[in-house]
Amino acid sequence: MDRDFMLQLYERMVLIREFEETVKFLFLEGTMPGTIHQCQGQEATAVGVCAALRPDDWITSTFRGHGHALAKGLTPQELLDELFGAKTGCCQGKGGSMHVGNMSKGMVPGIAIVAGGIPLAAGMALAFKLQKKSHIVTCFFGDGAVAEGAFHEGVNMAAIWNLPVIFVCENNLYGASTRVDLVMKNPRISDRAASYGFRGETVDGNDVLAVYEATQRAAEECRAGKGPVLLELLTYRRTGHSRRDPCHYQPKDEREAWAQRDPIERCAEQLGLDETAREQIQQRIQKEIEAAVAQAKVAPQPTPADLETDVFA
Amino acid sequence: MEIKMKMPDLATNEGTEIAVTKWLVEIGQPVKRGQPLLEVETDKAVQEVECIANGTLNAMHVEPGQSVPVGHIIATIEVG
Repeated sequence: MDRDFMLQLYERMVLIREFEETVKFLFLEGTMPGTIHQCQGQEATAVGVCAALRPDDWITSTFRGHGHALAKGLTPQELLDELFGAKTGCCQGKGGSMHVGNMSKGMVPGIAIVAGGIPLAAGMALAFKLQKKSHIVTCFFGDGAVAEGAFHEGVNMAAIWNLPVIFVCENNLYGASTRVDLVMKNPRISDRAASYGFRGETVDGNDVLAVYEATQRAAEECRAGKGPVLLELLTYRRTGHSRRDPCHYQPKDEREAWAQRDPIERCAEQLGLDETAREQIQQRIQKEIEAAVAQAKVAPQPTPADLETDVFA
Repeated sequence: MEIKMKMPDLATNEGTEIAVTKWLVEIGQPVKRGQPLLEVETDKAVQEVECIANGTLNAMHVEPGQSVPVGHIIATIEVG
């Protein structure tokens, strides 16, 4: 694997981690409004998947979408502006944390309804297929989405019409506070694909290269008309479900075991980065984010005149 | 420079007060961003609150057992 490319993946993961940590402290100090759903620990899923896509491919996301957005090429500035409700945000301040996206960068604003993005992704892929466009759609959802009716409906549609969709299940073992084995007799989510007649694969979601390679294979199949594909990425959330969740349901030994498999540290080891090199990268990215925060805090807020623009209902 | 740390918005029901149950650092001790600073009890759970800055804990403004609204100043941190 090309070292420069891998370094890019590493830096993108650090960007997501530092972004999320910064937002966490903005929330704690009381300057960030609302609640937030963060993805510390899951950076390799977003980065590995999006690195295997073309800029004109599409993703759909969830309420936990900051990482997906940064991985798809949205800037920290347009995201922070959005989180502060500013007019300069990626959704003009009308989406907030749970609905970040940018249509010009191939990211539909986050769909906060659990499993809500799955039929939508099938619909987008159907449109691309009928228009004979080569875009593929990558649909991110969590383990909690799999038991929703919308999962069955969307996945089945994509299967019968061989639609170019990569269904990416980020299985972080908990749907809010409920562990997967309490709600699934078969907790291997990728097995579900076989019952719809297409290929499923379980991947170490904390190994950014493994995620990248699995997504590349899936993307090739989708572009060859052999989609869809279901990728189950095994990962772990290192924060609460939302900022108000103290996360007491994650057992200490489980947390520690997953901390040993941290995607950023593993990638740093693969790259052979020493402590100094890691700190330099982290500090450079921190500075970039701090500058974006300072700008977002004074960014212009929407005015009453903006109330009815860009909304449908 | 001093930073005033406020009670974060951790309650699930709007308007509920949050109780400080215990301080985990003593006055005059160095603190780091992300270090557990105090323990609070919301309407839903007992949880630790992380310090928001690197520096020294200069003052605590809420006694254990006392409840305060979100945004109330709970600590002063001297930063470098």
